[in-house]
Amino acid sequence: MVNVMKGVLVECDPAMKQFLLHLDETLALGRKFILQDLDETHLFISADIVETLQARVDDLMDQLSIPVHDKGM
Amino acid sequence: MSESSKSKSLNLNPSPTLQCKDLHEYLKSRSAQFLETLYNYPTICLAVYRELPELARHFVIRLLFVEQPVPQAVVTSWVSQTFAKEQAKACEALSELSVWQEAPIPGGMPGWMLAQSFKKNLKVALLGGGRAWSMSSSLEPDGKARDVAFLDAYALERWECVLHYMVGSAQTEGISADAVRILLHAGLMTRDAEDGSAVITRAGFQFLLLSTAKQVWLFLQHYLHTAEKRSLSAAECLAFLYQLSFSTLGKDYSTEGMSNNMLVFLQHLREFGLVYQRKRKAGRFYPTRLALNIAQVRGGGAAPLAAPAQARGYIVVETNYRVYAYTQTNLQVALLGLFTELMYRFPNLVVGVLTRESVRQALRGGITAEQIIHYLEQHSHPQMLKSETGGIRTSSMLPPTVVDQIKLWETERNRFTYTEGVVYNQFLSQADFVVLRDYAKQQGVLTWQNERSRTMVVTRHGHDDVKKFWKRYSKSS
Amino acid sequence: MADDDTPSDSSLLVIIVDTNPNQRYITEDPKVLTNCLDAVIAFANSHLMQKARNELAVIGCHFHKSEYLYPTPGKPLDVRQIDGQYELFTLVEKTIKMRLVNLIKSQPPEEKPGESLLAGAVAMALCFIAKFRREATPGLRITARILIVTGSSDTAAQYINYMNVFFTAQKQQVLIDVCSLDKHLSLLQQGCDITGGLYLKVPSLEGLLQYLLWVFLPETSERTKLVLPGRGRVDYRAACFCHRELLTIGYVCSVCLSVFCKFSPICTTCHTVFKIGGPLPIKPKKKKMKV
Repeated sequence: MVNVMKGVLVECDPAMKQFLLHLDETLALGRKFILQDLDETHLFISADIVETLQARVDDLMDQLSIPVHDKGM
Repeated sequence: MSESSKSKSLNLNPSPTLQCKDLHEYLKSRSAQFLETLYNYPTICLAVYRELPELARHFVIRLLFVEQPVPQAVVTSWVSQTFAKEQAKACEALSELSVWQEAPIPGGMPGWMLAQSFKKNLKVALLGGGRAWSMSSSLEPDGKARDVAFLDAYALERWECVLHYMVGSAQTEGISADAVRILLHAGLMTRDAEDGSAVITRAGFQFLLLSTAKQVWLFLQHYLHTAEKRSLSAAECLAFLYQLSFSTLGKDYSTEGMSNNMLVFLQHLREFGLVYQRKRKAGRFYPTRLALNIAQVRGGGAAPLAAPAQARGYIVVETNYRVYAYTQTNLQVALLGLFTELMYRFPNLVVGVLTRESVRQALRGGITAEQIIHYLEQHSHPQMLKSETGGIRTSSMLPPTVVDQIKLWETERNRFTYTEGVVYNQFLSQADFVVLRDYAKQQGVLTWQNERSRTMVVTRHGHDDVKKFWKRYSKSS
Repeated sequence: MADDDTPSDSSLLVIIVDTNPNQRYITEDPKVLTNCLDAVIAFANSHLMQKARNELAVIGCHFHKSEYLYPTPGKPLDVRQIDGQYELFTLVEKTIKMRLVNLIKSQPPEEKPGESLLAGAVAMALCFIAKFRREATPGLRITARILIVTGSSDTAAQYINYMNVFFTAQKQQVLIDVCSLDKHLSLLQQGCDITGGLYLKVPSLEGLLQYLLWVFLPETSERTKLVLPGRGRVDYRAACFCHRELLTIGYVCSVCLSVFCKFSPICTTCHTVFKIGGPLPIKPKKKKMKV
């Protein structure tokens, strides 16, 4: 028989995928959310987590970025 | 707009980009009969002709005086072999708009022939003949004739009234229920859930960043959509609009002989500042630059056609991400505030800085990097245009660092693409998997598959269909 | 040209119409002029029809002077639509016809028609283009070209003037197209070749408009894509400065490069005196000794 699951397909670069796997393993979002690990660049995740995930990724990007100009004067 | 058709239950991609169709796309989306009626107006033929690709224009002009169908092979031979792709595109555009039709030639070869009404009316526009356009009855000289500067100021004021209303800057006078209805219909504004007042949407903000010509055109497109409900004929309105766009600035035209419907339409145009009328029953009107620009939506890239002094560019962008805007109007400051962090404000100058945060704020609001860059380009101070180094022509007069950075900020947000879907796995046999996968692929709903793990993902709306197929398949086997 | 491939925002076309009454096709049947003029006006309007920002100027070239037929200096005519024609096109047609009548009326009655002042008209066109470019909004990409429609025969009387305007046009990146209604014009053909324009001798006057639309309407960027009549061989003979005759072999002044068909001891252009017959080898020796 065939197994059917609803959710969201995520496509991203391998580095970002590892970040998602990390979030999943450490239960950083409160629970597991990856339904299936498809390949290098694809993941299948539950649909209701998307918004939280997006915010989390934004946070990560904030930490990574350096201001490109000085605001003083 | 096609946005509504592809709206999803879950808002995964929160950036419904505002689409601004040009005339070509607008007409393409209409039925053939509608086009047929449109081609009875010489003005429309003229406008359609101008919107065609270069090569297509060449074809039309060469076929214009030919009465029999011309073999397709002959038309092909007009263009050199190396540009076959462009030629195919031109032919496609002509067929799409039913400017020409296929017609067999006695020898049995396929040929092209211009649509009769299009040919006839384009000739009328070019060479004369036929009936005069409705608004050109002769007039006594106007005692209080208005000059171009006055009309420009008037048009600008009227149009900004609409824009001001959108951003909710206190001014609410001077905008009618009709205009509000159009804004709501276009999805540029929406009724607030609590008090029912109109508030601006994401699409609305994107709308504000467009060039004035595009804004007017988009607005009118929606007007035409709603017009049909009000028993105004869209074809008639469109013809009149283009008639206006081919008129001369600073000249008065007569309302004599215009139908009642058109007089109503004229009053609406007057409200938005496309025409100027001293009094409702004045019997004459002056088209403004807003109306004239409708015909030039596509060209939009470069400087506007001799823009009025007030609408000249006012923004200077420096390589250190500073933005200086020489402006006094609140609207322009508010727009700039959408994607810059404002720092200082002087009587005639606002200084802001493009930061990652401010740009991301805008991106979150559904504005694209392209729109920000375009806005800055469009309103560049003449000084920025001049400072361009002679010889080397870059695609933009903005500092390349700034342009690139804005684009990078955008791509950084898009490291993920989300597609709603349904995963199928744990197939019992390879054959089952292949059958289902091929079916999904055929239906165009397959988004991802892997043969080794026997896993596939189909889009959500394709799921029902695939499920049904699977049930049928598993029963029969 | 640098950006040949990208279509321009605005294209300026200056049409020079030869209205000299001694052109053969006019002397044979004066009515043909009206037909030709109609064709030229329809062509001019087709150019304006291509793009909203396209610009047009028409210069009438007579034997006593050249004059702008369109646009008029000062306020344009007040034209109302009379039929379904686009208002601007009506304006163009009316203005050209009216101004042309004035031009022809102004011709001195007692004078015998001489040669058309085509070189002067081209110079006027170049001035117009230069002014237009100067006044255009910055950032606007403009291409400019000149179209000469003439039925005059080839003479070398204005040879130097022609060459001056041709090379100026080349420098200004202005194309010169020539449409000959009657005879083959080798001098003007040279101009087309120098500036990268097209030369066409119309086989029959009946189809003039079709020829104009086919060959001369497409813009520079578009021409590369189309199959247009070939350049053919260009006759690059120069005219001598003394008798204005085209030569294959002649005498050239070593100082100013003026061309002569017969030997003369003094160059009429730069007044250099040539020493002839004398034993030439002596001179270089003297020079060498000095060095």
